Order: sequence, then C-alpha cells, then structure tokens
Amino acid sequence: MERRRFVQAIPFLYSSPALLAQAIAKLDGAATDAVGRPLPHFFSGAQFAALRRLSDLIVPAMGGFPGALDAGAPEFLDFLIGQSPLPARVVYLSGLDALNAHSTAKYGKAFAAVDDTEADALLSPLHEAWTWQEPTEPLSLFLRHAKADIPTATTNSREWITASARNRGSAGNGTYWLPPE
Amino acid sequence: MAHTLTAKGIKCLMLDAGPPIDYDHDRVPRKVYDLPYRGFGQPGRFPHVTQADEFNANVWADEKQNPYTYDAADPYYWVRVRRIGGRTLVWGRASWRLSDYEFKAKDHDGFGDNWPISYSDLAPYYDKCEPIFRVSGRKEGFAQLPDGNFIEDKSPDSVSMMRFIGAAKARGVPTTKPRRATGSLASSLNLLLPDALATGNLTVVPNAVVRQLTVDKNTGLVNGADFVDRHSRQERHAEARIVVVGAGCLESTRLLLNSGTANSSGVLGHYLFDQFYVKGTVQAVVPEARDGKGGADLMGGSGYIPRFRNIDSKAQDFIRGYSVDFGSGGTPGAKYFPHYGEALQKAVASHRGAGFDATTMGSVLPRFENFVSIDPTIVDAWGVPALHIQAKYSDNEFNMARDAMNTLAELCHDAGFEVLEKHDQMVPPGESIHELGTCRMGDDAKTSVLNKWNQSHDIKNLFVVDGSSFVVGGSQNPTLTILALSMRAGDYMAEQMRAGSL
Repeated sequence: MERRRFVQAIPFLYSSPALLAQAIAKLDGAATDAVGRPLPHFFSGAQFAALRRLSDLIVPAMGGFPGALDAGAPEFLDFLIGQSPLPARVVYLSGLDALNAHSTAKYGKAFAAVDDTEADALLSPLHEAWTWQEPTEPLSLFLRHAKADIPTATTNSREWITASARNRGSAGNGTYWLPPE
Repeated sequence: MAHTLTAKGIKCLMLDAGPPIDYDHDRVPRKVYDLPYRGFGQPGRFPHVTQADEFNANVWADEKQNPYTYDAADPYYWVRVRRIGGRTLVWGRASWRLSDYEFKAKDHDGFGDNWPISYSDLAPYYDKCEPIFRVSGRKEGFAQLPDGNFIEDKSPDSVSMMRFIGAAKARGVPTTKPRRATGSLASSLNLLLPDALATGNLTVVPNAVVRQLTVDKNTGLVNGADFVDRHSRQERHAEARIVVVGAGCLESTRLLLNSGTANSSGVLGHYLFDQFYVKGTVQAVVPEARDGKGGADLMGGSGYIPRFRNIDSKAQDFIRGYSVDFGSGGTPGAKYFPHYGEALQKAVASHRGAGFDATTMGSVLPRFENFVSIDPTIVDAWGVPALHIQAKYSDNEFNMARDAMNTLAELCHDAGFEVLEKHDQMVPPGESIHELGTCRMGDDAKTSVLNKWNQSHDIKNLFVVDGSSFVVGGSQNPTLTILALSMRAGDYMAEQMRAGSL
C-alpha cells in the first residue's frame, strides 16, 4: 500500500488521537539502523581504516558497554560527514590524511597498523589542555572534532543504549517535535 | 496584546506565519538512535541555530526558506521559530525586570538615549505579567533588579553554592535565585491565547506570511496587510482599523521596511543590539565532590549574579554591566580533560556531578551603525524580500567579557573550586536570541520610530509590540519586559479607541 493511502486509512484503525499520533510518529521514524549494515563510501580505504583505528582508541569497549567499533561509529561518521557541508568534510579528510602521513613518516606504516604506544605519540594533541580557541593545524583540529563526534556516535547508538538499559540507565530518550503540517 | 485587547471586548484578527501546534500530540517520545542522524541533526540544516538538535529541529524556522544575509566578516545568528506560540515555545523562561539603570541609562553614564518611560511606568504591568507566567524568585531589594510578584523560591542552597555565594558577597558581588516562569509549558500558546480565544473576540489565522502593510493614501493610516498563504501561496488581503505588529524584533522591522512605512526618522532598522553571551565563562570543579562524593548537600542548585558593575562604583574600561547564570552539580564535558579512551572515561566518571559552571550575559550598547536593511538580492520562499544584518560588538562589550571572566575565576578560587577553563569568547551577535532595537521608542519623532506607547510617530493606528521597541536592554533577559510593554500598549490603545482617537 502506498504510504499516503496508508496514512489516510489510519484514522479508522486507531481509537484516539494520541494513539494515532504515536502511530504516525513511528512511521516517520523508521529505524533503518536495525536492519542490514551500513556501506561506507565517503572516506577512502586508507582514511576509513585510520578512522576505525582512531575510533577504537577513543572509545574502547569497557565496563560492559560497547566501544565505538561495536556501535558502528566509524560507519555512521562516514555517512554523516559525507553529507556535511564542505568545512566539516575538509576537517575529516585533511585530518585523516595527516594522521596517515604522520604515521607513515614516523613509523613507516599507516595509522591503522600502529600499536597503542605508537598511536599515543601520534595523538599527542589530545593530551594538550583544551581551550576555546580552535587549533588551525589540520591534525589537531580533526582530533578535536573526532574526540567529540566519536563518543557521541557511540553513545547515541542502539548498541550502547541497549547496554545502558541493561545497566538500568535511561540514555537516549528524547521528546521529538513532529514536522509541521 | 491580543490577550489585553480581547479582554476589553475588542475584536482581533491575528495573522501568524506559522502553523498551529498541538503541544501534547505534536511532540512524541523517541530514542535518539531512531533519529536519522543519531542526534547530530541533519548536516547543514541550521548553520545559525546552535540551539537546534535533532529532537527539536522541526520547531525552528527553516533557514533555506527564510534566508537573510550578513557580511562574511560579521556573522549574525538569527534564531527564529515560525509556529503559533513562537519562541515562547522554547524560551529559557528567565524573567527579570529592567530598572531605571536601563530606562534612564544615559543619565547614569551619558551614552546614547534614555527610554521615554521610567520603571514606575512599567512596574504595574510587570506586576500583572508575573502571575500569568507564574514567575518564581526571591525578593532581594536590589535597585538594579527590582523585585516582582513572585512565587517565592524557598529552595535551600547546597554547600558548594553557599561557598560561591559567600565568596561573591565578600567581594561585593550580589547573588540571588533564578527568576523563572514555571509550569510544564510557559508559552503564549497556553498562558495567553486560550483566554483570548475564550472571549470569542480573537480569530487566529495560521500559515499567513505577511508581505506588507497597506496604507490608505487619503488618510495616511494603515488599513490592513497583504499576506501569503504558506501552503497554497495564494495572495490575500486583510483589512484592519488598527494594526499591531508583533512578529519578533527583526521580523517586525523587516515588515515595516518592506512596507515603506513609519520611517520618517530614518532610524528604522538602526540601533540593533542584544545581550552578548559568554557560554561557560568558567568551568570549575568542586574538589570534594570528585569520585562520587558530592551528595545533594554538597552539590546542586543554580543562581544568578545581577549586574553589579557601574552601580556604586565605576569600572575602568567599560560602561553598564553584565549578569551571570551559575550552577553546581553538572559534569564537566569530556573536552576539558586531556585524555582519550579509557583514561578519558575514567576522568569523566571521576568528575560526574562535581562541576560548577557560569555563563555571562552582558549589556550591549545600542549603536546606530548596527542595523538591518532590506537585501535587494534575496527573497524568502514566499517572495518577501529578506534582511541584511550588520552587527558587531565593540570594545565596551569585549572589555566587559574579560572582566566577567577574571571576576568569575577569582570567585571560584575564593570558593575553593578548581578552574578547569576560563574564557571570554562571545557567541556571535544574535545567538542569545535577545535581539532588540531597530524600531525604538522615543519622545522625539526625528530620532525614534515609536512613541512611549509603542505607537508609530508617523502613523497613529500602527503599533509595534516586541523587542524592536527597546532603547536600552541591560543584561536581563527581555521577555518579561516585552510582555509588560505589550500589555501597557494594549491598555493605551483600548483607551484611545474608547475616546474615539483611534
């Protein structure tokens, strides 16, 4: 049944306006991340491999909660950044390229292949005190954004919130404003 | 305004650019992972609305449908809501009165102009507005922050709050409880419109995008408005004996500019200002509250520092002053900790509930050179010419922000808090959503657009009742003053109608 005809039929299926509103809300919020798996396409293979390694370092699995890789954070960021305005794309593309370039120059291998100790040296900007002044150097700027984005992509995932619920948490609940007529 | 007029038996037609909203049914619970962008929001949808998130995205005016321009060097964040109820659907509810430090600001420091009214003119209307919006607060007797008709806030202060308040008092910095509208919703949608509709005197027309006001060439009076149906794009005209514009500061001025009316003074669009915000001016930690040791006795609560500079003494490098919202018991953001991975998660966990933070809101000087005009190159989705906004802050604001940063850091130190970060970087003009001026009041028709009754100097049956009428704003959130001015203008208008003058 095409969506419009289905929506027109809904009033006959629901006894109260509240139930009707909930039903329409569910239609509008189809949860595609529960089905299938994402297909990364924005970052290059080398960039995406670096992002996966970085994601695992920034949010590892711990304390019964999934890490960034379990939560599909790199795949989600590939989708998000790929749709973002140019400045955000430049931050990620330049930063991931810089990460690989620094890694290759220092260790002769891509960031995806470095061990934790080697990675820590490359991620030295994350050990600097945060200030309101954004850095201008590409790697530092990228790491600043990634340090915020990877945890958010992780903790807002179905996997992380499901784990939170098991721990009696109530993360991920919000009040969504439906689109106006 | 409609609330006041309809209660007096006056028939009102309200044209609203937005759709109606059923607050109970148009908002639904949802999990963040069920949103298309996991809570990040659709990239690029709201470049100027930092308040937008993926849950509330549909409440804000679409920036592509409602464009505006500014010079690249001076960005302006114009935050709008186009739904019935407007920005009162999502406001922060802070409800402060202005004082004669604002109404008669020029008398205190010689800058700019005074309002044409005094605090005593508006006080009776503040008295009426506060009960409608169920404002809670604590009476203090501050001359610069008059007390109101409050629901008394008797909540106790936590130990950390008492330490900060004590540190402030020792340096002569006053504090008080927040003054806020209470209730599950504190909007014109539920507190004003229902009463007005119940009189039978109000007709609300949603989705009516007003293009321009129309003027009777014979009388020079406004006689109605041309508007566009938001959905069908049909052009329509509504007639009126009196026109009241209350579209929100810059939208009202845009409408008058597009109408080519009410500007014999040449100041329509000028003297744009707001309150500057320095969000998270200080982020501190209460050391004893680390590692889960901060119970309800030690942590929690919020407070407010009213303006204290240039009251009893003179600041060195700025006039007027700033206010501060402060709170205890939050968790400092992960960005403040120079770690990642497990170390970062442990650091955040260690500081959970141990934070203290303060945000500065500063008075911005109204300047002629900050202004809006019609951009001849761009129209909105309904073909209505859009605004160009030119605004930037001056040394007075920058110096004030620096003083706030240093003062707050000192107070935190005195209170025994550890400051993680302090800064004085303001958000761009407009982001506070407190845009004011551009259609200001005054006694002199050559230097102001409105008289002291929010009535056009040029066209006596035209009133403007929003933040655009402000002459000076202070550091207080403006909503309560906008309400009081509107109610006062309504009383005046009704009396003029009764007397046959309108």
